[in-house]
Amino acid sequence: MNDFADDGWFARLPAVADKDPETFERLGFAELRLLFEVIDGDDIRRFGLVLDGYDVDYAGEIADVDAFAADTIVTGPIDAWSEMAANIAAHGGADKEHTLNCLTMAGVPLSVTAPDPMGRDKFFRYAETLQALFDGTAPEPAVA
Amino acid sequence: MIGADLDYYRRAQRGELDLGWLRDSRSEWGVKATPSRVGLTLRDISIGSYGEVPDRAPLRTMAPRGSDVDPDVPDMGYTINDKAEVWSDNLLSLYEEAVSRQWSATRDIPWSELPELDPDLEHAMCQLCTVLSEVEMVAADFPAKWLWRINHDFIEAKMFLCTQVMDEARHTEVFRKRALANGGGLGKSKAVVEQFLKLVLDAESYDEGSALMHLLGEGVVLSLFRAGEFLSPSPVEKKIFRLCMQDEARHVAYGTMHLRYRLERDPSIAEDFHGYLDKGEGIIAMLFTTPEVVEPTTILAAGGLAQAEDLAMTAANVVRGNVIHEYLERCEHAGLPRWDRVTLPAEMLADVPGLQGRAAERVQEVMA
Repeated sequence: MNDFADDGWFARLPAVADKDPETFERLGFAELRLLFEVIDGDDIRRFGLVLDGYDVDYAGEIADVDAFAADTIVTGPIDAWSEMAANIAAHGGADKEHTLNCLTMAGVPLSVTAPDPMGRDKFFRYAETLQALFDGTAPEPAVA
Repeated sequence: MIGADLDYYRRAQRGELDLGWLRDSRSEWGVKATPSRVGLTLRDISIGSYGEVPDRAPLRTMAPRGSDVDPDVPDMGYTINDKAEVWSDNLLSLYEEAVSRQWSATRDIPWSELPELDPDLEHAMCQLCTVLSEVEMVAADFPAKWLWRINHDFIEAKMFLCTQVMDEARHTEVFRKRALANGGGLGKSKAVVEQFLKLVLDAESYDEGSALMHLLGEGVVLSLFRAGEFLSPSPVEKKIFRLCMQDEARHVAYGTMHLRYRLERDPSIAEDFHGYLDKGEGIIAMLFTTPEVVEPTTILAAGGLAQAEDLAMTAANVVRGNVIHEYLERCEHAGLPRWDRVTLPAEMLADVPGLQGRAAERVQEVMA
């Protein structure tokens, strides 16, 4: 479970949007540069997600954080990220304790920060798109 | 009074067209907008003279900005004729986003999946929905009250406010539907809630009402929506709160950036805005001590009435701390820092993260 940061979980997000364009077009435009920080002991790995229009323009590891110029940053320990991903996979989407909003509401286990309040509020403005993207990483149920 | 030009009518019947509009128009010709990747947006057509929004509207008409206007158009009596009174730099993109992200409280909520809840939880959810259904419509009534007074040259601001009216109608709808969808029904409507709504609705200026509603009231409600999603007993309510959260965050983004635009152009009116928010915070403090507002979230957070008595106000304190912190940060971003000015009682500030200035000192004095 703790190989979360290496398994390309974030890199799968563009495929989620590509696979179901109707859902993401119905959810509407988004314009967001979101940075995810995965803390593993002294190591921090950073992943960027860029939403533009109905598309996921980029999702993957970020080397130059300043150049990425995130609107919002979501930070947390690798165990919390891994638990979230495993929960989504197990339930076909986040259960009620593992939505992005739930995990960030109290600042633990994940926290939301931003260079300014407008950036932070973008995390709320696109809440359903982000949750649909994350939920879309769940494997499709096997057909009997 | 304009009378029918029967001479023209008869000439036109004979095929003698006037064509003055075709040959002698003073509007800009040859401006061709290029669609962006999502379609033809307001920003795409904000080009040439059509993209120039005057700081002071020269006329008070409904003529489209950039058109060739008859000299004898009637005066529509607009009272908001300065751009700074309603504008914000994010208006165009917020309008497009609002139109794109509309949703349906009938179609998009999986009502058939609503589970039966413990009666105390159902009661708490219904009381929360009662408050939210009550407060949301003022955010439609207020812009509707002022829309017809705003000069047509600021049409993008009017269009955005129209999206807000629709958003708030849907919020009122979805919370009323949730209250009635599971056997609970509506709960109590409190006078203190109505007092805040009256303060917004009776605002003597758009400045005052926008500060109270977009910045303070909707900021509080945005945090309540976040809390609602966090506390929701089922995925059905979670989806309701997430969808509402998106809309509310757009309104707050407009309010914050509008105030910033306003103050950048006239810093001398900052004290007026402080005065509006002083009044608003007084009522918000009363809301934080209203059981019908506070206790439903406590019960939902705890998962039941008995557990809530053990947890006391832990969850409510987290929610309140977030509400106030985010509000004070937005004030600062708008150019109206209130760390030294916030009028909320010190006890209510104790759980606010990142407290600064006089507000932090007041908390320390109370704690000591």
